[in-house]
Formats: sequence, C-alpha cells, structure tokens
Amino acid sequence: MGYIVIAIIVVILFSLGSALIGMVKGGKEGSEKMFKSLRIRIGLSVFLFALLMFSGFMGWIEPNTTMLPTQ
Amino acid sequence: MSNQDYYVPHGTYWPIIGSIGVSTLFVGFANQMHGVEWGGSVMGLGLAIIIFMMFGWLGTVVNESVNGLYNKQVDKSFRWGMSWFIFSEVMFFAAFFGALFYARILSVPWLGGADNNLFTPELWDGFKAVWPLINTPGAVGQGGTEWSQGYALVNTWGLPALNTGLLLTSGVTLTYAHHALRKGHRNALVFWMLATIALGAAFLGFQIAEYGHAYHDGLKLTSGIYGSTFYLLTGFHGFHVTIGVIMLTVILYRIQKGHFDSDNHFAFEGVAWYWHFVDVVWLGLFIFVYWI
Repeated sequence: MGYIVIAIIVVILFSLGSALIGMVKGGKEGSEKMFKSLRIRIGLSVFLFALLMFSGFMGWIEPNTTMLPTQ
Repeated sequence: MSNQDYYVPHGTYWPIIGSIGVSTLFVGFANQMHGVEWGGSVMGLGLAIIIFMMFGWLGTVVNESVNGLYNKQVDKSFRWGMSWFIFSEVMFFAAFFGALFYARILSVPWLGGADNNLFTPELWDGFKAVWPLINTPGAVGQGGTEWSQGYALVNTWGLPALNTGLLLTSGVTLTYAHHALRKGHRNALVFWMLATIALGAAFLGFQIAEYGHAYHDGLKLTSGIYGSTFYLLTGFHGFHVTIGVIMLTVILYRIQKGHFDSDNHFAFEGVAWYWHFVDVVWLGLFIFVYWI
C-alpha cells in the first residue's frame, strides 16, 4: 500500500513541477500547460485522499498517531 | 506596452524603509530576548514598518503594471523571480521533511540498537525505539512507560482528515476559479475565489483548534522528536496557509479592480501555484505524519 501511495505522490510532484515550468515559460502555451498540469495534480490528490480514507476505513492501513505498546 | 529593452526602475525610497523596518524588528527582538521592557513594542513597530513598506512597494509595482510600464522582459523577470522564491520554499520544506525522515528512519532506530549498533542501547539503558517518540531519550518515561502504552496523540480521523478535505476542496475551487479566469467568466471567478479563501480560513481555524487539543493532551514542542517535528512542520505549513489566504485576498481585490484578463494574469498564476504547492505539502504531512 505504501508503495502505491508514494508512486501517486511522485506523479503529483511531477505535475506540480510541470505546472511550474509552464508558469515560467508564460504566454498562451505556458499558461495552458500550467492549467492542465494543475488539473492533473488536484485530481490525483483528491483520489489519493479518498484512497487513504477508504483504506483506513477498510482496515488495510492504520494511522501512526496512536502509540503502540512497546512490548 | 513599451519597448522590449531591459527595464530600469526609477529611484524609490521603499528599500531603505524596508531596511529600517527589519533593523527595528531585530533590535526589538534582541532586547525582548534579554527581557528588556520595551523590546516587544519595538518589535511591533518594526513589523508595522515592514507591512507599510510591503503595501507601498507592492502597490507601486501593481500601479506600474496596470499603467502599462512593463514589457515582456519584465514579465519574464517576474516569472523567474517567482520560480526562485518557490525553489527556496521547496528547500525549506525538504529540510523539514528530511528532519522527520532522518529521525524516524535512522536516528531513533539507531538509538534503539539498530544497524551497526554504534549507538547501542547502553547510551540510554532500556531505551526502546518507538514512533511516535514523544520523550527525549534520557528523560522520564522514555523507557516505554507512561507515554507509550496505547496513548492516542491525535485522532487522525478527526480534525486532520477534515482539514485535508478542506484544503483539497480549496484546491478544486481554485482550479475552477483559474478556469473561469481563462474563459473570462468574471462572476464565476469571484465566486470560486471567495470559496477558496473561505476554505483556507476554515483550515486555519481548525488547525488552531487542533493545536489546542494536542497541547491540552500533552503534545508540546518539547515532546521529544515527534513533538518537535510535528509542530515545526505543521506550524510552518500553517504560516504558509496564512500567507496564501492573504495573497488570495489581494488577488480577489485586484480581480474586482479589473486588473486581469484571460491572457494576462501572472499574479493570479503565481498565487495559484503557491496555493497548490501548500496543498501538496499538507497532503505530504497528512500522509507522513498521520498515516504511514
């Protein structure tokens, strides 16, 4: 599960980077590239959040904010 | 639009006012640290001068832009300036996430005797490598007693999940605003901007509430490496959301003033990217601090 989450995060970061390149480039083409990349980034982020919530609900993953007994 | 030569700015007094503001702030801060009575007031004065400078300087830039003094060369320099600012921000968060990963994956297991055992458990007898570690090794309770027996630090399903939902929704509303701006739909643009600002402000309100809960339950900056990294990362992020909300509000004001059109709206693009960045950082925090 962790690997899937990290793979999605990498794609999100890649989209964010691509949007940055579009922003620096500017003009019609750059602006279009930026908007499209940001759309992918938000879509994937919402999907990842839903996946985490669902996995937690199904008991596939456990939050790490609860201290576990050390023994 | 004027010619495409290198833009030479006119003389301005704002940089010296900025220097006076920063100096005043630091003089006040240093004296505050030494317990001098007027330290806090001088700090406040320095901050007020800096805010005054930002209003004045950025206002001048906006006026110059609106009056058509800038050419393509200036537009390019703004874009590069923004990208360097972003680079510094990425490095900031990379360092803080790095501290979290280092503590969690390397230094805490080492203290528990993992890997080459250079830092053997003899360093602190009875130390057990656990995460979240909320006692500094050597302090009371680190041997796996009061803090490490099934104690819920923060309820991941409560405010953190709600806040993640709020911030991601603000990313969606901002994307709708961006689309509306590109298509020239002014009313939709204003509506989605207002929604984004409201969601950002709600996030901050809940974050303050979460800090209240966490602090009340005993999670403090001094609560071991987990407490330190938790407040460092979420606090620095919260500061960025605050800046983001202020910037979005300024952009909304400029939209009302008619400063942007569907082709020329770099200020909006810069702030939008910043907001998406802050959103991604939170998603990373939510995953690495609360889940994985």
